[in-house]
Amino acid sequence: MGKIENRIFSSYERNPILYDEIYDKNGDIKNVYQKLFDLYGGHSIRDYVKLNTKAKSSFFNQGITFQVYDEKESQEKIFPFDLFPRIIDQDEWDVIERGAIQRSKALNLFLWDVYHDKKIIKDGVVPMELISSSANYLDQMIGIDPPGGIYNHISGTDVIKHNDGKYYVLEDNIRCPSGVSYVICNRTALKRALFGVFNHYRTYSVTNYAENLLDLLETTKPKGVDTPNCVVITPGMYNSAFYEHSYLAKTMGVELVEGRDLFVENDFVYMKTIGGPLKVDIIYRRIDDAFIDPLEFRPDSALGVPGLFAAYKKGNVTLANAPGTGVADDKAVYTYMPQIIKYYLDEEPILNNVHTYHCSRPDELKYVLEHIPELVIKPVDEAGGYGISIGNRLTKEEIETIKKQVKENPRKYVAQPIMSLSVHPTYIDDSESFEQRHVDLRTFTVLGKDKEFVLKGGLTRVALKKGNLIVNSSQGGGSKDTWVLKE
Amino acid sequence: MLARVANNLFWMGRYIERSEHIARYMNVNYFSSLDAPNARSQDRQFVLRSMLFMVGDPVHDDSTVLEEEKVLYKIGLNPEFPFSIINNVKYARENANSARDLISTELYESINKFYHFVLNYPVETFVKNGLYDFTVNVAEMTAILRGKIRGTLLHDSVYAIILMGVNIERATQIIRIINTKYNDALEAQGSYGDKFSNSFEWTTLLKCAESYDMMRRLYKKTPTSISTLEFLILNPNCPRSVMNSLNQVHKHIKQLDQSTKYNKNSTAFLVGKVRSEYEFKHIEEIEGNIQAFIDQILKSLTEISQKMDKEFFNY
Repeated sequence: MGKIENRIFSSYERNPILYDEIYDKNGDIKNVYQKLFDLYGGHSIRDYVKLNTKAKSSFFNQGITFQVYDEKESQEKIFPFDLFPRIIDQDEWDVIERGAIQRSKALNLFLWDVYHDKKIIKDGVVPMELISSSANYLDQMIGIDPPGGIYNHISGTDVIKHNDGKYYVLEDNIRCPSGVSYVICNRTALKRALFGVFNHYRTYSVTNYAENLLDLLETTKPKGVDTPNCVVITPGMYNSAFYEHSYLAKTMGVELVEGRDLFVENDFVYMKTIGGPLKVDIIYRRIDDAFIDPLEFRPDSALGVPGLFAAYKKGNVTLANAPGTGVADDKAVYTYMPQIIKYYLDEEPILNNVHTYHCSRPDELKYVLEHIPELVIKPVDEAGGYGISIGNRLTKEEIETIKKQVKENPRKYVAQPIMSLSVHPTYIDDSESFEQRHVDLRTFTVLGKDKEFVLKGGLTRVALKKGNLIVNSSQGGGSKDTWVLKE
Repeated sequence: MLARVANNLFWMGRYIERSEHIARYMNVNYFSSLDAPNARSQDRQFVLRSMLFMVGDPVHDDSTVLEEEKVLYKIGLNPEFPFSIINNVKYARENANSARDLISTELYESINKFYHFVLNYPVETFVKNGLYDFTVNVAEMTAILRGKIRGTLLHDSVYAIILMGVNIERATQIIRIINTKYNDALEAQGSYGDKFSNSFEWTTLLKCAESYDMMRRLYKKTPTSISTLEFLILNPNCPRSVMNSLNQVHKHIKQLDQSTKYNKNSTAFLVGKVRSEYEFKHIEEIEGNIQAFIDQILKSLTEISQKMDKEFFNY
């Protein structure tokens, strides 16, 4: 135990079954956390109450909020932020970073293949149904070569640490992964509140995301363009992630546009400026596939740009991420990731996959139906933590309901063993103390033409409800600043 | 800059400026009337009517008895009333939100703080004893915003658009205030031998425009109709004068439209024309027919705004 009197952690309840990020098996503080532990212990809990209030109002005044629509009217809420940072040392990070790049590259090659020759299917590595039954497979993308050969420019890989101390990937998000602005805001907020602690650690900066993003996006510019004009397209200021869209546009120094600001003429895209039309070459889009072009996809979309897809087909504009990437972050595809990585890169997966049972396979469906209390049941095509059932939390009736749902539509579900997410000391408002809470980590990988970048850090999401395993912000999750240490 | 966003920034400037004028008008009229030298100017009904007239919601029926708390609430914090301060601030922030990537973090944070201040101001306190505190804070926060606009933005087209909005709105509001006080002075004349030309209302008018002290410094005399109007309309050195606003608008439109040759259909041409008209006017021309002047200048300002809309914001 720490040598000095540690007022903050004297009441910290440590459940020995759970993998605690800051304590080792013997209940001793891990080396990398020792300094932080001592520094935090030097404060009283009163100090944390004050610091916590300060950090909250800082987020509020900066308008770093998201809208919640569930209640009667929309409300502005801040994304809960925790004062105790998570530390990842260089060796651990190295695995995560190499693993994230490996997966992103493999997914990019997979996407190229499924929209061109479908070799992986012909070779029998993955079944045809994986694609033919996916709602996110776009026939319109067949045969199209995206500029620079990149589909998933931006990937958000969610990893967790299991109680065996190893990192596992929970899912790959390669449609419009969000959350990166919070990584940077969390760092800013922690610096404002507890700047002293940074003197004792050599931590990588996270503020270089936007510049790298723009650099890499520009490597995928359309042919014949010299200096590309890049924009970020948002559904609008009432979107829950609008803050992030405006943040990215601002820090990249590019325009933030809405669909109505753009138009297409002769298969080129233009934006309407005060000086007249200006050609747009690269669009970082934060609008889902279905809404980007009413002429090609959902005709009732008011968010998109008529003719955009035609311009894309001609190779006159880059869309990041490319339309149709959703087919590859499907939870059913996830289960084939080890094979996909092996097939395209001839490498062993660096990050582990959680074993997954496909309800579409009769023998596995049988196992799932018999073992629901030990499994997490997930719909394959939902994002944001919706529709997930955790077996050991269900009542008997609920188990029956789930069984029925799965039997009715087995393709829609996969099941995984209940992973034990690692826990991290987290300041809890109600009890005014630090308690164990489950965490995961979303990493951000950017692919460019022959170049890649992983943000050294990432969004550590915390499930604030005691015992809860779902960390998404829409489900009451918070986040922590995440430090990747140099050397 | 996107045309849509330019439009939003223009209106952000206008709403910020508008909220300040309304707040100051409420403050000055209410508090200076408390010990006004004549019964008419002291009359609560008179003051409340004046406030409603100024925000564009005049009470035409003389027999209507207004309730102070209701009127204050309506102009200050009623979210249902389109011209209320709270709505102006809401619109300002909404416009800032949509252009958040273009304005500085510092400016946005101040607008956001301003919004939360107004939004969370307790209605009970405001209508009972918070008028002074609320309006002074609104005026101060808008001053901070102007400081952040000047001090933290790149002085490019974004800046020019915002300041066009601020100055067109300022000229408009000053004219509206002049119009209201002109009417008040007309109404207040006669009682206790008060004459129109040296009515107490001229002093109030100057205070509403935060120009009283400086006007005294320049003229060293009790304000009269002619000296007040000259100062507030034609003096280019008075920061709140119509002339000064027109000069600013002219300066910023040239930042947007850098063509060396004038196009007679451009906003820049119209602004230049209006500006030179007032540059070479003398107060006697205006004083003879104040109402006609007021109508004319409001018309010109609307025309400028419409022209901008067509030239820059039309998308």
